[in-house]
Amino acid sequence: MDDLILEFLASPVMREALPPALLIAIVTASMSVMVMAHRLSFLTVGVSHASLAGLGLAVTLSLPLLPTATVFAVLIALLLALIPRKKGISEDAGTGILFAGSMALGVLLISTANSAEVDLFGLLFGNILTISPVDLKWLYFMSGLIPVLFFLAARAWWSIAFDAVTADASGLPVSSLRLLLYGLVGLTVILCVKLAGIVLTAGLMILPAACAWFWGRSLFSLWLLSVLFSLLGTITGLIWSYIYEWPSGATVVLALCALFVISWSLNWGKSWATVYKG
Amino acid sequence: MTTPVVQISHLSFGPVNKPILDNISLELEAGHFLGIVGPNGAGKSTLLNIIAGLTAPHSGHIDLFGRCLTRFSRHKLLRQIGFLHQLHDHAPRLPMRIRDVVAMGLADYATPWRRVVHSDAIREALKRVDMDHLANADFRQLSGGQRQRARLARALVRKPRLLLLDEPSAALDSVRQEKLFQLLRKLCDDTGMSVIMVEHDIAAISSHVDSVACLNRKIHHHAMKGEDIPNNVWRAMYGDHIHIMAHDARCIGCSPDEHNLPQDRQHG
Repeated sequence: MDDLILEFLASPVMREALPPALLIAIVTASMSVMVMAHRLSFLTVGVSHASLAGLGLAVTLSLPLLPTATVFAVLIALLLALIPRKKGISEDAGTGILFAGSMALGVLLISTANSAEVDLFGLLFGNILTISPVDLKWLYFMSGLIPVLFFLAARAWWSIAFDAVTADASGLPVSSLRLLLYGLVGLTVILCVKLAGIVLTAGLMILPAACAWFWGRSLFSLWLLSVLFSLLGTITGLIWSYIYEWPSGATVVLALCALFVISWSLNWGKSWATVYKG
Repeated sequence: MTTPVVQISHLSFGPVNKPILDNISLELEAGHFLGIVGPNGAGKSTLLNIIAGLTAPHSGHIDLFGRCLTRFSRHKLLRQIGFLHQLHDHAPRLPMRIRDVVAMGLADYATPWRRVVHSDAIREALKRVDMDHLANADFRQLSGGQRQRARLARALVRKPRLLLLDEPSAALDSVRQEKLFQLLRKLCDDTGMSVIMVEHDIAAISSHVDSVACLNRKIHHHAMKGEDIPNNVWRAMYGDHIHIMAHDARCIGCSPDEHNLPQDRQHG
């Protein structure tokens, strides 16, 4: 096993993939705390699928892939934040509508494009191993920007998630902060799409915080645990994917799922033990 | 004369032909404890939300601490207000310790560049509601009444000049309820904080407050301590089928004078 890990670290492909993957892990884990707190899981699913339309658009108009997809995803996320909830269209219905609509648009656009240009499998399931230098720059820029904004707004988002009315009454600009949150979730989703692909992105955006939720007691501990779970899952996943030659994105998500199941059972065992003893 | 903490003049809210609040005028001095009573749907919570800057009135004017409440002054003015609303999440999901919940009430909680540790203020606020021994407990594990007290501590921790409470005693037992009203009375007397509290039970609050406003769309009567509320006010608020019982000489609006008892008692 040790040999394999050394071999993994020595492999040039993995050595190149590891830093961006770990960076993505930290950024997504931070945002996943807010995704859990604000119940935005379905939004991440919706936005990641909607990014297919962005990618389709980029392929058709021969625009740069990642920036176009980013702009598109952020727009979709902001649109969802503005959906008229008071008119009776709930957020999940709105997400469902945009999700299906833009996915359909994406499929149409990509099917008419020259199929040789598009690595559809890579888009759908992610491939961190084939990240280009341009993408890498883009990725570093975003993973610098998102944590800074996260640090500035985290407590405000947290108190909105806890009690939006009181947050509003204490003078916080709740609607602007919510727009910022949705926009940043959109940005983060695009980062994940590179690693885990459209279909698996939700895994990276939900699972780290979901694991942390069993153990954390405050915003800070949740964030720290979420980052640790995410890093552990990503490293384990990449090692497995190297050893067994599995697709990297799927393996990372599976590793995170395993961490979730372990957390859950340990927590269940703990509460069962307390009841039994007490 | 000192500037009033709250000055509301000719405030209206809702459609003109069927207003929710109609021509409300109200003034509140520092240290004054005002109770607002009225039937369900009388606009009590709406009035409180308007004062808290959550809803904009359709006409009329509000001054808080001598400054006009607008979209632009709102942010600054609200920092001096504590607010406890009624729409609580009955199954809180966020993992939080009680002291983190209270910390959220600090005026600079969400501004990371001005972050100072206020553990003394938090401890003091928790002590006021007898919750200091639970500072590290998980908020999700508390009972409804304990959560309500933690929320009250969150509203108090910023040492507000004005405290707005919407049925704060709803989750509390009668002993806790009495303690809450005593605490509010003491804060008004000691710190000069003003309180506006919406309650439906006038009997429970009347020996603690300085005045009671009877609200049903309009303010039908504003009774100071020791003053009676005439029967026609009760009827205007609740309709003709109420049964008025006098039970306590200290109580506002229900002194046991003979002329104040209803002549034709009907049951609803």
